[in-house]
Amino acid sequence: DDPGDDDIHDFSKRDLPEHACKYCGIHNPACIVRCNVPSCRKWFCNSRGNTSGSHIVNHLVRAKHKEVCLHKDSPLGETILECYNCGCRNVFLLGFIPAKSESVVVLLCREPCLSVNGLKDMNWDLSSWLPLIDDRCFLEWLVKVPSEQEQLRARQISAQQINKVEELWKTSPEATLEDLEKPGVDDEPLPVALKYEDAYQYQNIFGPLVKLEADYDKMMKESQSKDNITVRWDIGLNKKRVAYFVFPKEDNELRLVPGDELRLRYPGDSTHSAWQSVGHVIKLTAQEEVALELRASQGVPIDVNHNFSVDFVWKSTSFDRMQAAMKTFAVDETSVSGYIYHRLLGHEVELQTVRNTLPRRFGAPGLPELNASQVYAVKSVLQKPVSLIQGPPGTGKTVTSAAIVYHLAKQGQGQVLVCAPSNVAVDQLAEKISATGLKVVRLCAKSREAVSSPVEHLTLHYQVRHLDTSDKSELHKLQLLKDEQGELSSADEKKYKALKRATEREIAQSADVICCTCVGAGDPRLSNFRFRQVLIDESTQATEPECSIPLVLGCKQVVLVGDHCQLGPVIMCKKAARAGLSQSLFERLVLLGVKPIRLQVQYRMHPCLSEFPSNNFYEGTLQNGVTMNQRLSQGIDFPWPVPNRPMFFYVQMGQEEISASGTSYLNRTESANVEKIVTTFLKSGVNPSQIGVITPYEGQRAYIVNHMARNGSLRQQLYKEIEVASVDSFQGREKDYIILSCVRSNEHQGIGFLNDPRRLNVALTRARYGIVILGNPKVLSKQPLWNSLLTHYKEHECLVEGALNNLKQSMVQFQKPKKIYN
Amino acid sequence: EEHVKMKQKKVVEADPAEAEEFEREFRALMQESIDSRKLEMRARPTLNMMIPMNLFEGSKDHGRITDGESGDDVPDEQGGNSVRFRVLVKKGNKQQTRQLHIPRDCSLVQSTKQKEAAELEE
Ligand SMILES: [Zn+2]
Ligand SMILES: [Zn+2]
Ligand SMILES: [Zn+2]
Repeated sequence: DDPGDDDIHDFSKRDLPEHACKYCGIHNPACIVRCNVPSCRKWFCNSRGNTSGSHIVNHLVRAKHKEVCLHKDSPLGETILECYNCGCRNVFLLGFIPAKSESVVVLLCREPCLSVNGLKDMNWDLSSWLPLIDDRCFLEWLVKVPSEQEQLRARQISAQQINKVEELWKTSPEATLEDLEKPGVDDEPLPVALKYEDAYQYQNIFGPLVKLEADYDKMMKESQSKDNITVRWDIGLNKKRVAYFVFPKEDNELRLVPGDELRLRYPGDSTHSAWQSVGHVIKLTAQEEVALELRASQGVPIDVNHNFSVDFVWKSTSFDRMQAAMKTFAVDETSVSGYIYHRLLGHEVELQTVRNTLPRRFGAPGLPELNASQVYAVKSVLQKPVSLIQGPPGTGKTVTSAAIVYHLAKQGQGQVLVCAPSNVAVDQLAEKISATGLKVVRLCAKSREAVSSPVEHLTLHYQVRHLDTSDKSELHKLQLLKDEQGELSSADEKKYKALKRATEREIAQSADVICCTCVGAGDPRLSNFRFRQVLIDESTQATEPECSIPLVLGCKQVVLVGDHCQLGPVIMCKKAARAGLSQSLFERLVLLGVKPIRLQVQYRMHPCLSEFPSNNFYEGTLQNGVTMNQRLSQGIDFPWPVPNRPMFFYVQMGQEEISASGTSYLNRTESANVEKIVTTFLKSGVNPSQIGVITPYEGQRAYIVNHMARNGSLRQQLYKEIEVASVDSFQGREKDYIILSCVRSNEHQGIGFLNDPRRLNVALTRARYGIVILGNPKVLSKQPLWNSLLTHYKEHECLVEGALNNLKQSMVQFQKPKKIYN
Repeated sequence: EEHVKMKQKKVVEADPAEAEEFEREFRALMQESIDSRKLEMRARPTLNMMIPMNLFEGSKDHGRITDGESGDDVPDEQGGNSVRFRVLVKKGNKQQTRQLHIPRDCSLVQSTKQKEAAELEE
C-alpha cells in the first residue's frame, strides 16, 4: 500500500530549538545561558516572568547547580563563565573587575581570588568588583533580558510550576512541563477557557481534547466492520476498479463521505483465494450506494458478488494537523502576528486598525451588487485585523466572503488563504471567488482527487494535469505512462514525483487565492507557504484546533464567517464535547466581546417563513430581500390552510417507536403523512429535486425512504429522487419545499435532538417557498421554544389536523413549557 | 516588527511567600559556596593576572573587533549609551579577548573612565 504523501510530516520545524528556555520557551541566543552541570545541560533565559528571580537563577537555586555556559551566538560566543585567575566556575562567586586604565574586564571569584594580596598591586581595580548575579538576575548587559514582546509571547510559568518541574527533573531529567500538566488516564479533561495565559496553556487544554476525540473516532470507525456485503463491479474512466455496495448505517454512527478510506475483503472460497484491497470512497449515489475506487487492479474477484466484508481505515491526519498547528502557535513566534496571538488568547490589547486605502466600491466584478449590510461588512473587515461576520440563513454569506477576498487579494499582501471545514463550502466559495477574475487554486486532499467536484478546473491536481506548456511534456509523458501501466519504474516514479511537486508548487504560487478545507491547510504541499490574510467560512462549524490550522501560516488579518445561531461542530466524544471542544473560535470571540457584523437581508425564505426565526434567533433584525410575490408558488395547487401563508404545523398523534437497530426512533403515522404530502406536491407539479424531507432520526429517515418507495402512488423513481436527510446534513443548503418530521411522541421522555434551538433554527430556515411540520404538539409544547413556535402557528391559523384534503384548525391543548427559554 | 500594546500592564505578582522562600534558598546557596571555597582554597592561588598587552596591539587588524576602538562610546539598541569593553578570557591556557558593550552608567565603566580622566590630568 502506498501511504500517499499526506502522511509525511515534517514536525521538526515545529519544535522549539534545543536552546529554548526550559521554563518559558524563549530562545533568543543573547538572552539565554546553559546550565553547565553535565547531568543537566538545560537552557534558561534571563527573564523573571512571574517570579522574583530570573529563570536561569531560579533553576540554579532550585537545582543547586552553579555553572553556566553562554550560547555560541551570544556576544561572547560559547564561553563557560569562570574566574580568570583560578578557573572557579561557581557563578554565585563570580564578578567582573575592570582594569585600572584599559577598557578591559575579567571575571574574578570573590573567594579567594578577590582577597589575594598580590592582586592589589597589579593593574586591576578590585574595589569595583561587580557580582555576576545582581538582584537575582544575571547582569543584563552580559545576558540580555528578553524584550517585553518576547516575554508576553512566552509561556507564562508560575513559581509553583517551576518548583514542580524542578522536583520532577530530579527523577526524570527529560521531563517537560507538558508532562506536569498531563491529566491522568481516568481524569476528566480540563475544560476549555475563555482566556488563556499563553499558547502553551491553550495547547495543554485543547491537545488532550483533540486526542480524546481522535481516540473515540478511531475506536468507533474501526468497529464499523460490516459483513455480508453484496458488491457490484464497475470500471472507472481512469480504468480503475470501482466496487458499489450499500453500507448500512445507524444513528450517531459514522456517515461516510467521499475521500474516506475503506478496506474491502473477500474471505475466499473453493475457487478463489482470500483477497483484500483498500480504496477511496469516490461518491455516494442517490440509491445510498457507496462507490469505492480500489487501489488494487490485479486479482480482484470480479466474478463474485456476495459475502464481502468492509472495514473502515482510520487516518489520524486531520487530528495530527490540529495538534501540529497548536504546537506551531506556541513555539513559532512567526506563526501569527503578535496582535492576533494576543487576541486569540483573549488578552486585553489596544485595538489595532489595518492601514490601507479602502476601495471606492465594495462590490467585486462578477458578483451580484451588495446590499447595505454586506457593504458595511466588507468595509469594516478590510480595516480590522480580526473580524467576525455572522451570516443568518440566506443572507449572502458566500457573495460577501468572495467580495472580501477580492479586496484582500487586491491589497498586494501576498496570497489569500480561504478555508471552510467542509469541502462543499470550499467549492462554493472557490467558484464565487473565481468569478471575480482572481486566480484561484483549489487544493484537494490526495484521497479526494478522484471525487468529482463542481470546480474541478480550479483544483491543483487538474491544473497540473492540464498545464499546457511544452516544458511540462516530460511530466505528461510520465503521467500517461503511469495511467496506462498503473505504475512506473522506481527511477521514473522518482522523476515523476519531483516533476509533479515542482509543477504543483509553481501553479500554487502563481495563484491569488488558495482554497482548501481547514484541515487541508495543513497539507505538506503548503508547508512553505505564508498567508497573511485568511478567511474561514462556516467557521462556527469548526472546532478551535481545526480553525487554528489555517491561521498559523503567518496570519496577520483573519475573517471568520459563520453563524453561531446555527449548528456548531460535530463532536462525537461526549467527554470532549462536555469539556467544550464543541465551542467554535467564533463563539469564544463573541463571548470575549468581539461583536460580529451581521448580514441582515435574507433572500431565501418567503417572508412568512423568516418571521419566526428572525424574532427568535436574530432579535428581529432579519429583513426580507424577497417579497411574497417572488415566493408565490405559481400553478402549484397545494392545500395551504391560509392562502399566501405557505406553512402549516400538521398535528400528529401517532406513537414513536424504537427502530430495528435499537438506537433510533421512527413514527409510522408521520411517515405515512410525509408520503401523502410529497405525493400532493408532486401531483401539483413540483419537481422532486425541489423537495427536502428533514427528520432528526436515522430510523425515521430510512423508514420514510422505504415507505415512499413502497406506498407512493406515483412512479417509484420520483420518490427516490427526493432527498430525505437529517437537519445537520441540510445545514448550509436550501430547498423550495421542506417537510419536517419531528418523530418524537411520548408521554414522559424528552424530545431529544429537537431540544437544541440551533437545530430548530436550521430546520426552519431551509425552505424558500413553503414548509410543513409534522409533530405532536402535546409533547413538543413542553419545550419553551417549541411552545412559542406552536403558538406562532396557531395564531396564524396554521396549526391544523385532519385529512390533507380537508385540513381543519386544531384545538389541541399545549402543555406549560418547563422553563423560560432565553 | 509590529508592536502590540496591552491594555493593562501585567502586574507581576510574585507570591511573597514564594519570594521569601526563594530568597532564603538563594542566600543559603551563596553562603555554602563561600564556605566551601574557604575550606578548599586554603593554599593561596598563584596569581596569573597579567594583562597580555600583545593581545590588544594586534587587535585592530584581526580578531573580533573591527568596528571601533575599545573604550569607544557606542549608542546601543535601547537608545542609551554604552561603552565598548573587552572581556579577557582563557581558553585552555590561551588568553583571548571578546568585545562587550557595557552601559555607561555601570559602575565598571564609571571606575575606568574616572581613572582614565585622572591619568589624563596628571
Ligand atoms: Zn542545571
Ligand atoms: Zn525563561
Ligand atoms: Zn578565583
